[in-house]
Amino acid sequence: MTMSSPDLIIQSEELAEVNSASSSRGWYHWLLVSVSALFALVSIAFVGSIVIYSLPAWSHTGTLLTGNGWQSPSGPFGGLSMIVGTIETSLIALVVAAVVGLGTSLAIVFLVPGRLRNIISTFVELLAAIPSIVYGLWGFLVLAPWMLKSFDPFVNKLPFASAIFGSPGQQFGPSLLLAAIVLSVMILPTFIAISREVIAGVPNDIIEASYSLGCTRWQVIRQVVLPTAKIGLFGATFLSLARATGETVAVALVAGSVANAQFHLLYPGTSIAAWIATEFGEAQGNEISALMALGVLLMLINFSFSLISRSLVSRQRKALARV
Amino acid sequence: MEKIVSESTSSTSADQVAVKTVSEIAMSLKDVAVSFNGKTAVRDATFDVAKNKVTSLIGPSGSGKTTLLRGLNRLHDLTPGAKVSGTILLEGTDIYRGDITVTELRTRVGMVFQRPNPFPTMSIYDNVVSGLRFNGIKKKSLLDEVAEKSLRDAALWESVENRLKVSAGNLSGGEQQRLCIARALALEPEVLLMDEPTSALDPIATLRIEELMSTLKERVTIIIVTHNMQQAARISDDCAFLLMGEDRAGELIEFDTTDKIFNNPADPRTLDYTLGRFG
Amino acid sequence: MTIIDDLIPQPESTSTRQAIQRAVHSHRARRVAISRVMMVLCGVALVLTAIPLVLLIIQLVSRGASQLDATFFTKLPQSPTLSSPNDVGGVSNSIIGTIALTVYASIMAIPLGVLTGVYLAESRSKFASTLRVIAQTMAGAPSILMGLFGFTLIVKYFQVGFSAIAGSFALAVLMLPVIALSTELAVRTVPDTLREAGLALGAKPHKVSLKVVIPSAISGIVTGCLLAVARAVGETAPVLLTVGGGYINQWRPLDPVSALPLTIYSGAKSEWPAQRVQVWGIALVLVAFVFVLSLSARIWAARKQKRNS
Repeated sequence: MTMSSPDLIIQSEELAEVNSASSSRGWYHWLLVSVSALFALVSIAFVGSIVIYSLPAWSHTGTLLTGNGWQSPSGPFGGLSMIVGTIETSLIALVVAAVVGLGTSLAIVFLVPGRLRNIISTFVELLAAIPSIVYGLWGFLVLAPWMLKSFDPFVNKLPFASAIFGSPGQQFGPSLLLAAIVLSVMILPTFIAISREVIAGVPNDIIEASYSLGCTRWQVIRQVVLPTAKIGLFGATFLSLARATGETVAVALVAGSVANAQFHLLYPGTSIAAWIATEFGEAQGNEISALMALGVLLMLINFSFSLISRSLVSRQRKALARV
Repeated sequence: MEKIVSESTSSTSADQVAVKTVSEIAMSLKDVAVSFNGKTAVRDATFDVAKNKVTSLIGPSGSGKTTLLRGLNRLHDLTPGAKVSGTILLEGTDIYRGDITVTELRTRVGMVFQRPNPFPTMSIYDNVVSGLRFNGIKKKSLLDEVAEKSLRDAALWESVENRLKVSAGNLSGGEQQRLCIARALALEPEVLLMDEPTSALDPIATLRIEELMSTLKERVTIIIVTHNMQQAARISDDCAFLLMGEDRAGELIEFDTTDKIFNNPADPRTLDYTLGRFG
Repeated sequence: MTIIDDLIPQPESTSTRQAIQRAVHSHRARRVAISRVMMVLCGVALVLTAIPLVLLIIQLVSRGASQLDATFFTKLPQSPTLSSPNDVGGVSNSIIGTIALTVYASIMAIPLGVLTGVYLAESRSKFASTLRVIAQTMAGAPSILMGLFGFTLIVKYFQVGFSAIAGSFALAVLMLPVIALSTELAVRTVPDTLREAGLALGAKPHKVSLKVVIPSAISGIVTGCLLAVARAVGETAPVLLTVGGGYINQWRPLDPVSALPLTIYSGAKSEWPAQRVQVWGIALVLVAFVFVLSLSARIWAARKQKRNS
């Protein structure tokens, strides 16, 4: 059994080291290592600088996390509405994108004929590459007016509308609901691209086995494909969540950039990322620290989701490898 | 493998294959052909599969054996562009055009695949009864009873009776294949299709499954595809020899009892194959 | 299910078989109906996905195409007045700014990223695996954080102020992990046999790497860089906090510049309808650019795969 090549390289490098004090392989290896170290340094500085600049603000942690209302230029800086806005918009966007996205992925794999499938998959991946500012633009200039004209009045007539959506009669263009919808349209291609790959990766032989036992198509999907793909689908969910929470300009454009915490979806609001983008232009001193602190929060949220997603995806890969 | 060319039998192949009465025939094929996007993969398949016997489809690779087998439980319905022509009867009913739905057909004609494919997210027990559950049967006592019976028939019960709730991935390759056999048997099919079931297994596991088939055939009719002709000679009662023709389409060359195919075939090409002159 | 209840478990095969078949029959219609409904729902989901996305593309093209004239590409922006409200000029400053930002960012990010990627692919050390996790985390980080980083380090700490170099730095930090990971992937995809053949001929490991492995992976590496550039061009948040904006054709690193995404952001909020319409043209340019880059990257990768197989 041959050793894998990386082993080979490292072994031969070690051999070369023994053989000559200053072998020419030295410069190449050390170039790579030092460049990579530089990369690591930049990444550490990335986290470090934001944390360091945020330090002054953490003496007011309570206000930052639970305070309502953001008073420039000197405080108090309450981050509650940003946190609430981030949670509301991201969760709604995720639920919509996951449900519609899952159905779409299943349709692509199980309903769409072969040749069309490639075209659609390519199209979905291209859509995932569209810059978020374009989605924000569309949401702001196209969707918002339409919602104002047709959707909001319709929603206001529903029972319980005031509880979730705000009191009837109020009409704002920008709103948290609009941001949630724009976000869901934005993360749909990402979610579909990943979930389609995971679903298509379910081994064909267990699919054939379940058909051979007399399953209907939906039974094959529900009893065999989805359970097998479950872990990877959760990975797609967390990745989409990570993206949704970090979206800046789209939310900034359509949510209205207002910093008073309320849960009503038809009212304007903001998110962590959007607020940083909005307020940064004129911020000074303490406000900058507070904004940096918001950035630290965002970093924590994003890194955790990212970590969870990656561990899920690697577990999915391992689980399928055993079959 | 010893080959006895028997001179004493003067009867022709037609006499050897005794005319079977309808009640002794499990499946009947007449002029069956399978094509993909217009290109024929296998054709001219005409033979009767006897009940409670093992019928093997043999021939070199590319001769269309697996393609033909998969037509028998309408697995080709899943492949766009696939077309199955001719007549395939299950107990007298045309499986493509007769009064039988695809899902019903597949509960009556089960399949075991080349590589063991237990459902990875299910336990051993759940795997065995999965066919029953998929078809709406939920009564625990019946499931338990069928599970034990099928696992015994697949010669797996003693290995797993104490760990039924364990994930199926923990079994060895041979055990997984026997699990798949048990899973297929649980639905009490009339016919069991086996597509090279031992080709991915080691010799000992292979032998165990071959031993299985002689007892299994009392319960189900078995149609097995195998590229291992010694295996066919060991286990099957009837044999269909297929060969790829000039146009790269497989065709049935000869169908007869195993004894006749291996000892006194009618077609010289069959003799060439069984003598190992080509693979 | 009463059929099963009535059944006394019999050792005899046939009656169990019949009982199973009866139960199968009684449930079939329902299962088939459920399957049909669910598959229709999936189809509905596909349509629901397509509608806003297709509408977006249509809006983009219909509103944006009319904006793309010579003025758009070559003239500086102008403030519309009440007497000439449609006189908005062009976006040449943003185009030049974006080009400058992209070039500076690529100079910083590509060599660093590619070499790091090669290291990740060829080393099995603990440092390399830690580095990989770092790269993956950074690759998924919100771009506004890159803007914050660029602000704290370049604008404030090095006291350069709002400038092209600050924006390029933020974009470079964005591109680095993406380039490193895609380079690693491209190098890993080179078959081991190629590497072993080089070593077997007595070549030193670093020569094998430089002369055999990397040239073989070059198309994958280029693809990864192209995609990273495509992403950087469209990012708003990193440049929002670092470049300052401007209304002249400016590209010097230490001075503020304008950028296309930035112009969209401010233009969308403008009170002047003509400016709000103009940004569709910018958006169309951006999307077209990203599409062309992504598509050509895919086509190139697919062709290389066909040639190799």
